[in-house]
Amino acid sequence: MFRLGASQVARSAGAQARNYATLREIEMRLKSIKNIEKITKTMKIVASTRLNKAQRAMTASRVFNKSDSEFYHNTEPESTDDSKTLLVVVSSDKGLCGSIHSQISKAARRRFEELKGNADLVTVGEKVKAQLLRTHADNLKLSFSGVGKEAPNFYEVSLIADEINKLGQYENIEILYNKFVSGVSFEPSQFSVFAADAIEKAPGLSKYELEGEDTATTLSEFSLANSILSAMAEGYASEISARRNAMDNASKNAGDMINSYTILYNRSRQAVITNELVDIITGASSLD
Amino acid sequence: MFRQTLRQVARQSTGAARRAYATEATSDALKLSLALPHETLYSESEVQQVNLPSVNGDLGILANHIPIVEQLRPGLLEVISKGGETEQYFVSGGIATVQPGNKLTISAIEAFKPDQFDAAAVKSSIADAQKRASSSDEVVAAEATIELEVLEALQTFTK
Repeated sequence: MFRLGASQVARSAGAQARNYATLREIEMRLKSIKNIEKITKTMKIVASTRLNKAQRAMTASRVFNKSDSEFYHNTEPESTDDSKTLLVVVSSDKGLCGSIHSQISKAARRRFEELKGNADLVTVGEKVKAQLLRTHADNLKLSFSGVGKEAPNFYEVSLIADEINKLGQYENIEILYNKFVSGVSFEPSQFSVFAADAIEKAPGLSKYELEGEDTATTLSEFSLANSILSAMAEGYASEISARRNAMDNASKNAGDMINSYTILYNRSRQAVITNELVDIITGASSLD
Repeated sequence: MFRQTLRQVARQSTGAARRAYATEATSDALKLSLALPHETLYSESEVQQVNLPSVNGDLGILANHIPIVEQLRPGLLEVISKGGETEQYFVSGGIATVQPGNKLTISAIEAFKPDQFDAAAVKSSIADAQKRASSSDEVVAAEATIELEVLEALQTFTK
């Protein structure tokens, strides 16, 4: 009987120790969640201040690109199906922004399937490169990183366009990017850039008068840079707004977790105190 | 009865004429969009005339110009507004397109007003570019020649 009592005492002491431990564990958990909340809140604020600037850059680039798209709309160059297509997938280096990168790489894979694999890939941004390397490592010709920290400028875009031109002649170039629809949504879309030959053969070209022989080449090179700029500006704006939303949700979740953990913490603290009181009172009453 | 129909026809025809005139008036002016990668200077604003520095020579674009595509060379772009005031911009290059429907869209890489340039800075940049133009490195030399072309065009406008 004595032995039984001893083992019981030992067990309760163990339970008590565990109680204290869980209390401390909960406290630590609570603290770390509070820290995470601070970080996500700050990131959200940073993203919302950047969003304005990103949106301004995006509207400017939309107007800049409009003359090209109108020209293509009027001339309607036809892409030849049998030649190889170059897919330029535009995204960025940084994560923590929801499904931006996975959506665009999904769209790239879908387009790749549609072209029956007769395509080469160029990626702009580390994240999308990592995702596409897993499935299409053989078709990845070129990748750029270190872009997308700021709104894109024409200089870095022309450097990228230059490198793409060095890859050789592609009849069709398609640029996949995340189109900024509104503050809460974006959708993967594409720009088509046509080679000089395709422009010269376009059925609607007679509407325009082209002076000089290499205007078509200039136009095709210029519109490549143009479209990349627009794609990057749109992608940047959608990334920032997606990050703001993701961080907003994360802060909300952290807030919820903090609430439930504070309740749990207080409850278990009370339980520990009650337990101690019970111990003291039973101890005192046993002395009587 | 005849007179009544006659009057009706007359009314219809004046109405139709008025409507046609109204649509014409809106599409009569040249609509200019002058865009830079980072800024929009004009967005479909109606202007009187635009003078372009093209690689094939200077051209003045008025309303109802035939659709063309022109590559710009470094030079002075003049926008004459409806009131007759002239705005001048120095552009480094780009593409100008007259679209069907009386629209002129200009995509330039950079555009600044001539009085925003510092003549002394231009001069020193020219000297610097001239030095690099004679470099043995082909890429550097080519870049410097392009730079020189822009700067020399710029020099004539900054006095």
